[in-house]
Amino acid sequence: MNLNTSKGTGNPIDRVEGKLKVTGMAKYASEFKVKNLVYAQGINSTIAKGRITAIDTAEAEAQPGVLAVITYKNAERLAQYDKDLHPLSTTSIQPVLQSDQVHYYGEYVGLVVAETFEQAQYAARLVKYTYAQETPDIDFEASKGKAYTPTEQSDYSRGNVAEGLAEADVTLDETYVTPIEHHHPMELHAIIGSWNGGNVQAYASQQMIDNAATTIADTFQIDKKNVRVMSPYVGGGFGSKLAAKQHVILALMASKAINRPVQLTVSRNQMFTNTNLRQRNEQRIKIGAKSDGTLTALSHDTLSHTSTYEQYQEACGTVTKMLYKTPNNSVTHRLMPMNLQSPFAMRAPGEATGSFALESAMDEMAFKLNMDPIAFRIKNDTQVDPSNGKPFSSRLLNECLRLGAKEFGWENRPQKPASKSEGNWLVGYGVSAASRRAPYMKTSAKVILELKNDAVWATLQMDATDIGTGSYTILAQTVSEYLDIPVEQVDVELGDSEYPVTPGSGGSWGAASFANGARAACEQALKDLKDKAGETAATTTVALMKAAQLSTLEAEGTAEPDEEYKAHSVFSFGANFTEVWVDKDTGVFRIKRMLNVASCGKILNPKTAFGQIIGGCVMGAGMAIAERTEVEPNFGNFITRSFADYHVPVNLDMANIDVVYLPEEDKIANKMGIKGIGELGITSVAASIANAVFNATGKRMRDLPLTPEKIFVKKEEAA
Amino acid sequence: MRPFNYIEAKTKQQALAAVQEQEHAKYLGGGTNLVDLMKEDVERPEALIKVADLDNDTITSNAVGGLTLGAARSNAATANHPEVRKQYPLLSMAMLSAATAQIRNMATNGGNLLQRTRCPYFFETSMPCNKREPGSGCGALDGANAQHAIFGWSKSCVATHPSDMCVALAALEATVTVQTPDGSERTIDFSDFHRLPGKQPELDNTLEPGELITAIELPKPQFTQHYHYLKIRERSSYAFAILSVAAGLKVRGGVVTDVGLAMGGVAHKPWKLTAAEDYLIGKEPTTKNFEEAAQLALADARTLEHNAYKVPMGIKAIVRTLEQAYSKEA
Repeated sequence: MNLNTSKGTGNPIDRVEGKLKVTGMAKYASEFKVKNLVYAQGINSTIAKGRITAIDTAEAEAQPGVLAVITYKNAERLAQYDKDLHPLSTTSIQPVLQSDQVHYYGEYVGLVVAETFEQAQYAARLVKYTYAQETPDIDFEASKGKAYTPTEQSDYSRGNVAEGLAEADVTLDETYVTPIEHHHPMELHAIIGSWNGGNVQAYASQQMIDNAATTIADTFQIDKKNVRVMSPYVGGGFGSKLAAKQHVILALMASKAINRPVQLTVSRNQMFTNTNLRQRNEQRIKIGAKSDGTLTALSHDTLSHTSTYEQYQEACGTVTKMLYKTPNNSVTHRLMPMNLQSPFAMRAPGEATGSFALESAMDEMAFKLNMDPIAFRIKNDTQVDPSNGKPFSSRLLNECLRLGAKEFGWENRPQKPASKSEGNWLVGYGVSAASRRAPYMKTSAKVILELKNDAVWATLQMDATDIGTGSYTILAQTVSEYLDIPVEQVDVELGDSEYPVTPGSGGSWGAASFANGARAACEQALKDLKDKAGETAATTTVALMKAAQLSTLEAEGTAEPDEEYKAHSVFSFGANFTEVWVDKDTGVFRIKRMLNVASCGKILNPKTAFGQIIGGCVMGAGMAIAERTEVEPNFGNFITRSFADYHVPVNLDMANIDVVYLPEEDKIANKMGIKGIGELGITSVAASIANAVFNATGKRMRDLPLTPEKIFVKKEEAA
Repeated sequence: MRPFNYIEAKTKQQALAAVQEQEHAKYLGGGTNLVDLMKEDVERPEALIKVADLDNDTITSNAVGGLTLGAARSNAATANHPEVRKQYPLLSMAMLSAATAQIRNMATNGGNLLQRTRCPYFFETSMPCNKREPGSGCGALDGANAQHAIFGWSKSCVATHPSDMCVALAALEATVTVQTPDGSERTIDFSDFHRLPGKQPELDNTLEPGELITAIELPKPQFTQHYHYLKIRERSSYAFAILSVAAGLKVRGGVVTDVGLAMGGVAHKPWKLTAAEDYLIGKEPTTKNFEEAAQLALADARTLEHNAYKVPMGIKAIVRTLEQAYSKEA
């Protein structure tokens, strides 16, 4: 069967842009051919706190090819925050090189522009900075006295947790730690920016085109109409490309200064210091339950750091508000200023980290109650979101857990920790529940129909992005379905701010929003055709085009959430099962197999959807076993500074990952029944692995990542 | 990267001549470490002399009944060579645990011996590091030192040597053949090749300026039946060892008649466990004796603030490696 001749959604067709990618024809931000292009290299601070007292640019400026050295002394004045501790969003301004102050190690303190990349890089090393250094706040423990409630506060409570705990037969009070992590998409952040006399044009690797244009316009205080952003292909973002970062501003600033287009690529090392991070979180969970497993109380208090000049809070406690039925619940988030760069949304922000804490704690509680952890979760299921009283549009969590248990062979799980072995390996099984908001947002699209050789060809245009997830493919399938034409007759054009506005890729809303936007455009096109055709027996798109005597037609449509959506809580759900083998002596362990069961609406393309969940599981495993950025305790730089030090899992770490989708079409979520899957895959995977390690060894690991060293030194807790 | 001269040597003589002509020259093998360090501005040679294309890329029999490993041979082609696999399976196993297939394809045997430490203070040019910049201090001594040495360190440097291959070569008691700039040749025992930091941590080894490694000589085939290389690391490939153990045993008449034992990731050089080796000779290959040997091996460990775990982990690792070696079927 030639899958690519299939029509419509639901078919596992190959990626429509796959051939372009594997042949190098798909152009990423830094690959566009632009005339008169020059290259810029950012310079990073080598202290974590203080101010610049002198800058010597003479040697750098004297190098062949060097066109400009920009520092705070000669940088153009940009928009400034109107208050300290500005809450960061995806459209925040990005002022850079505006003062002599240094807020963290690696902050941009300069930029060299040269005719070639090599010249810029070399000259950047020759700019000499003198600093007046101050003692930086780089210690998490020592910063605790400075914790504050964020401006956009997100505390929540219902009932009374203290009373709920007092009613409980069994209680738990534990703290879970996740380290600083970095997004690290494979494609480095990059821009080719042309100021172009105020007609700004940027090829930039961004997840959200429209927001990037806003940031550029607001930072330079120009009209957004004069900003064009293009990002047709994005090699991953994981949240780091949601907003335009300082390098986007730097490149345009340089282009304005020298009146030539400027390419600026953020190096892998700079991806640690200049494109945000996920901060270290300490999450304290308290649970109370009756001896039959009924929850009486649940609280989740998160302490995180942010920079000394911006606020970002990861809503780790969100998951605790809605996942289980309990009358008494409270959630708090607190921030501490530290001399580290600002954090920002990363890979299922809130859920990925929050679910590690909650789903580890639920496992601990099940053990204390002497209950099966699946039975304990099912016991506390709710079909109504307890945080707002709205029914879930659909919630098949229990079904995910039950089906997963059957498929995984949960009945073979060792009943007691550290009771099953294979040679020198201790064997353990772990489970966790996953939930992730499935947002659906207002999205516009344009479709252009052409009648050629007795067939209809369609071009879809929207400013949506494909961040490697398969947007091009599912949109081609959507247009094919709604216009009832073969998928090969559909051309999808994305990632250009000249196209209709979408919310961009992020927060797992892309597929639902984009596809419904495309649907709305197609429906509008068919309606226009029918109007123009008048009385006709024609039904197919081709026949309608002919009846309307049209060779081309353009139509725009907009889809947005309806009242039904707003009256419900819309989430995707899933369950993750892991088997680990832990060496009885050395702390070394292996993930032997993993099963992820997901219920997340209509699956538009099983092939790309499986890829997304598998990728999510690998990221979850990375979070569990390897990923961490370490702060040097005296100087405040990151000692993990390349992929040799910042470990992500390798194939050998992952063994087999199976994915099962529960068939579901959630028509409350949106007309096409689609829910997000991008971030569901990572959610709670770390807990599933840590719970399996406990089952294998009796060691309860509450501090990620689970390195051999930590497992080795950890004492057994299980009786 | 800073500008540098680049010379492709076709013969040893050309390489030796070039190294004397050029200021601040370095030999370039596969470039898997040196080029990285140049990009990081840690290494700043003014000339690179490529020696990866010299004709010493062969593996041949030597006079003592062992093998000569050409310095220009790639790590992958060495580890996968049928005679190396047959005669020195311990070496093959250790080499294949290193880095990634891609890096092993590029890296040369000579270059492997000259790998520099992975200490983060060495890599970050704004940090103090006596190895990179003598006299600037050791940032790791009172800093982030969970990965650092427990043997043989000095207040000047607590870095470890990162190679897996070298741990096996230490256990096998190889020798290193070196060509000197005056045209003569000398041989260095493997245990004397790398050095301890002392007050000169900038010197990783005992090579004199301009000397070129041409070969590694292996003694007669050893430990073809009982061998194991255990590498404890944070992920299953492409990670340096937290610590590693190379063990080879010869057992005759129920007692150990020969043993080679060395550790990686614990010192400025591959760490030969001589006391443990001596203890095991003439003993039965039992877990109890392995535990005694392991205790002896770690007896003179000196830990830093964050790496005390390496002592008990090292003991477990040695016992496990010896057990695996002994139980291994040829």
